[in-house]
Amino acid sequence: MAADVIDRLPVGDDRIVVQRAGAGTPVGYLHGMIGTPPGAPILAAADEAGLAVTAPCLPGFSGSSPTQQRRHIHDWLFHLSSIVDATDLAGRPVVACSIGAMVAVELAAIRPEAFSQLILVAPLGLWDDDDPVTDPYATTLSVQRRLLTKDPTVTAPFFDDPPGMDGDELVEYGVARYETRTAAASLVWPLPDHGLSDRIHRVETPVTLIWGTDDQLAPLSYLDRWAAALPNVVAAHTVADAGHLVDWDRPATVTRLVADAVDEPGSRP
Amino acid sequence: MKTAFFHLMPYPDLPDDFPETHRSVWVEIDPGLYDPKVGHRAYNDYIDELEYAASVGFDAVGVNEHHSNGYGLMPSPNIIAASLSRACPDTTIIVLGDSVALYNPPLRVAEELAMLDAITGGRMVAGFPVGSPMDVIYAYGQNPATVRERYHEGVELITRAWTSDEVFSFNGKYNKLRYVNVWPRPVQDPHPPIWIPGGGSVDTWDWCAENDLVYCYLSYFGYRAGLKTMQGFWNRVKELGKEPNPFQGGFAQFIACAETEAEAWELYREPAEYFFNTCLHVYAGYADPPGYKTPNTVRAGVEGMVERAAREATARAEAKAAKPEKKGPLSAGPNQLSFEDMVEKGYVILGDPTQVTEQVNELCLNLNVGHLMVLAHFGNMSKDLVKYNTKLIGQKVLPELRGLFEDEWEDRWWPKPMAAEQRQLRDLSPSSLEAGI
Repeated sequence: MAADVIDRLPVGDDRIVVQRAGAGTPVGYLHGMIGTPPGAPILAAADEAGLAVTAPCLPGFSGSSPTQQRRHIHDWLFHLSSIVDATDLAGRPVVACSIGAMVAVELAAIRPEAFSQLILVAPLGLWDDDDPVTDPYATTLSVQRRLLTKDPTVTAPFFDDPPGMDGDELVEYGVARYETRTAAASLVWPLPDHGLSDRIHRVETPVTLIWGTDDQLAPLSYLDRWAAALPNVVAAHTVADAGHLVDWDRPATVTRLVADAVDEPGSRP
Repeated sequence: MKTAFFHLMPYPDLPDDFPETHRSVWVEIDPGLYDPKVGHRAYNDYIDELEYAASVGFDAVGVNEHHSNGYGLMPSPNIIAASLSRACPDTTIIVLGDSVALYNPPLRVAEELAMLDAITGGRMVAGFPVGSPMDVIYAYGQNPATVRERYHEGVELITRAWTSDEVFSFNGKYNKLRYVNVWPRPVQDPHPPIWIPGGGSVDTWDWCAENDLVYCYLSYFGYRAGLKTMQGFWNRVKELGKEPNPFQGGFAQFIACAETEAEAWELYREPAEYFFNTCLHVYAGYADPPGYKTPNTVRAGVEGMVERAAREATARAEAKAAKPEKKGPLSAGPNQLSFEDMVEKGYVILGDPTQVTEQVNELCLNLNVGHLMVLAHFGNMSKDLVKYNTKLIGQKVLPELRGLFEDEWEDRWWPKPMAAEQRQLRDLSPSSLEAGI
């Protein structure tokens, strides 16, 4: 197994944390609401699935410098566009989760060559008044943790303080966690609909959809909405015993589905 | 020393079992609990109480802004201030304040406060809060990551609009205006004094200290708990090499005054318990949206006033759910905050006029505040009781405090109205009405 590598790349005015793990087919990974802290299970599962994962963190997430440019979704998709170029992910398959998937689809709508393939894990960005996405921030931190995954213990690398850390280091760790939560909240506030439904028909990129059967944030019913709205869905999968962050609850299942998707004939760049 | 009668205007008729049967008094409060007749009576009683305070010795009356809640029925403080502007002809009116980030564009605030300053002949204080998370983030949908930036830009726009001698363009990050030209202009030159209500953000200390603004800590938890926060502000003032002028500080305090201490214990128990156990029954999930606090505040480990109130209310509710009591909510059982606790901890200053005077004097000296916002109405207090409390404070306590700090310090943050003889007073005489035809 290839060792995890953490870089801090200059991208515009920001320093972007990029993690790399595994060996095999190159795949990008865009995190969901809690970023990609060290110990994120998707990284550990990459190698066994034959994937070489490059995982950049959007501004504010997991140690990437916070941005002052986050007025609206367009700020974010320009951040992502720059990051995709800086990390050589342009034209490659990318697995994108939750809010990461939301930004990736927005980018694909205006930049068709950005990704060869999108594997979207419980994407946010569509909204149905009769079946609303749960607000993960109108609750306490402990309840939010239980909302995100079927098994709340799997997100310990994000929510729990690292053992043995104390003093100023622990304070700064807490500040960084708060920055990640701030960046995530800013993407879905006041609700995760930035008008994507007006643009989603432009997404020509082949899409594989993955959804947890126990998603408490974006109900499983949204899988059908996404499948109907996207013009080029090639596969859709549900994952049992997984909540919203499927990649945290069932990382090996996700990497296997990703490996299957990128191994499909004609799917490689 | 200046004192204001500050009104929160709570909904006075929430059910006794509200803390047990409802999760939050804010954001998600059941619309079915609102009775328009109760609202009608409450608004008129509350405006009467503010006018009464102006007649019994208070230097100012104060109002504020909240949304989607039973804690305070003032979505628009400027409407109440407009009512007071004519009814209280000699009293300062403190709007503390308008939540600038919620107005699009914030010029609306500049215009309305300029109107009020014009009507009152320059008796306005302009307060600009970020606003509580429940109000600005949840009820009004502002993004917590950008709300402070939007707020600061709004305050800049308002002050420029008040002071510019020319029509100007404003190319802000959130406000883009080709033509800024506020009419009317404020009476006060350059503009009404600006006070900033804070809830515990360390960056607000810095901002007020650096920009010579009044820092007002509108605490629910009284002068003992407020000491740390006010000291944080004064420390920043000193670190910047500025003078700790007490008139640059403000503080809010519940006061329960009666002819005797025993009577005060009897009279104010129910309204105090209604306020602290029902009006502050805020679900903790609405108190700390990520991004609302600045990284410096997170780093400093400072818990905001609202955050604390919500955390304690939710903890009490969870404790009660785990171990139900037999007593009702107003009897303040083990899962409720008791009146004795409130008084002991200084949330409420209670006593006869002499005792209250001693404690208020201690508050002002210890916290170094020259502007005191007195909360003489709280909870579901009856109008008669409010008047009793207000009169005792206004006529027996405040006279003892007059002159405090004034020998040593100048209050540069108090309105400078037109001379009394220049101010137009209310005139409904038949001759004046006929002359206007």
